[in-house]
Amino acid sequence: MRENSHSKSIEVSNLSMTFRSDDGTSVNALAPTNLEIEPGQFVAIVGPSGCGKSTLLNILAGFLTPSDGQASIGNEAVAGPSIDHGVVFQDYALFPWLTVLDNVAFGLKSQGIGSSERKEIAMRFLDVVSLRDFADKRPRELSGGMKQRAAIARTFATNPSVILMDEPFGALDALTRRFLQQQLLKIWSESRKTVLFITHSVQEAVFLADRIIVMTARPGRIKSDFLIELDHPRDFSSDSFRKIEKNVFDSLDEELAKTFGLAGNQLQGD
Amino acid sequence: MHFLRHSVPYALALIAIATVWQIAVWVSQANVAILPPPLLTLATLWELIANGELAKHTLASLSRVVSAWGLSVIIAVPLGLVMARSKTVERLLDPVIELFRPISPLAWIPLAILWFGIGETGKIFIIFIATFFPIVLNTVSGVKSVDPVLIRAGQVLGCTNEATLFWRVILPAAMPTIIVGLRIAFGTGWAAIIAAELVAAQSGLGYLIADGMEILRSDLVLAGMIAIGVLGVLIDSIFRLLGNRYDWGAG
Repeated sequence: MRENSHSKSIEVSNLSMTFRSDDGTSVNALAPTNLEIEPGQFVAIVGPSGCGKSTLLNILAGFLTPSDGQASIGNEAVAGPSIDHGVVFQDYALFPWLTVLDNVAFGLKSQGIGSSERKEIAMRFLDVVSLRDFADKRPRELSGGMKQRAAIARTFATNPSVILMDEPFGALDALTRRFLQQQLLKIWSESRKTVLFITHSVQEAVFLADRIIVMTARPGRIKSDFLIELDHPRDFSSDSFRKIEKNVFDSLDEELAKTFGLAGNQLQGD
Repeated sequence: MHFLRHSVPYALALIAIATVWQIAVWVSQANVAILPPPLLTLATLWELIANGELAKHTLASLSRVVSAWGLSVIIAVPLGLVMARSKTVERLLDPVIELFRPISPLAWIPLAILWFGIGETGKIFIIFIATFFPIVLNTVSGVKSVDPVLIRAGQVLGCTNEATLFWRVILPAAMPTIIVGLRIAFGTGWAAIIAAELVAAQSGLGYLIADGMEILRSDLVLAGMIAIGVLGVLIDSIFRLLGNRYDWGAG
């Protein structure tokens, strides 16, 4: 949508993360992990709760410093949060004191874009997510689905080279979710950004992604890697869709069994 | 409609207070100089309004509170912001603030006279003490309770240095709580005018009350008290209106 739309690769090598708490105990959240994502690829990560998929995303976003190994975006080591690595949060994270328009224009202001051009770009992205009529509303006047659409528009508007999405539709009902998946594909197909998308829903992953990565139970590592070559829009009920879904589920089921078999009395959140 | 809905409870409260007061006058059979009836007090109040005395004293008190409160805002808001963002500064200053906080502004009167004499400065100093703590404490808690996810959102939307993050995310996010602090502080400052104007004042509602006591005019004392109460409520509602502008609810 913006000129010179660009996307970058993601490289993760021997990346691991161990959290140490004050009482001396430590949790190994991410086992040494290697991953390469091509520019423009839409990759979904699925895995049991607590498998370290959010940890991986938070390291790539620059929110966490890994215990070991390296995370790079476009062959440049991640050194902290950057406007070039967009993040869409599960709980929207819209700024409640700003209007929807000003939220979408927030990052554009950081990029030094002038006020009238800011407004124009923000409006264009609100159009894509069908929120033009809500430009002057405050986030609290919006439903959950609308908030997330605004947040997605806000991230895409700044034209980052990768977009990291942390269970963005996790808090939404099934119908809203379907609608947002379609909107996400629409906005993504116009810019072909590299997307790393974390989800609990296998169906969602198969519907959206070019590639699905299944992670093991804690400590998380990559268990299997599926390439999905179905054309968009994908049909949930088609045989090919179902077949991929089943393969992913089979891979995931072993991990779920491990998580719950071993957990029982020590179930841990994500 | 809005105004009516808010004034009815106040009108009812005033009627109730006046009724209990009148009954107390009848039952106690007290001397007028000790407990004047409500109507006489109202007449005195009206006289003070009519001859401009009330306006003069109110203005004197109000200007002291505004100066002291303004000084507090200039000092306490930045201090609270720094305390909330720096663990070291907080560890250093928190015990100091906690030690000074329980000391009533009244206790500062002798020192205020010794240090600043009997002029305006001493009075403003006492009110300043009363307004300082609510502002510091609310600023600290406002900044500390900013949702961390908003800070992360700010960072990935280009606020990569602490100053930009502060101006564009932390300060606006903390604003509703800071404004509550400003409102409470103005209230405590307004309540402190009596203490401040006990120090050789020539004007102000506190002076009006102290003077009424000296010349045994309880109706003057009560009229002054009523003025302080009513004006306090009015000022508070102005702050509430201002606060509503910043009450954007959860994002």
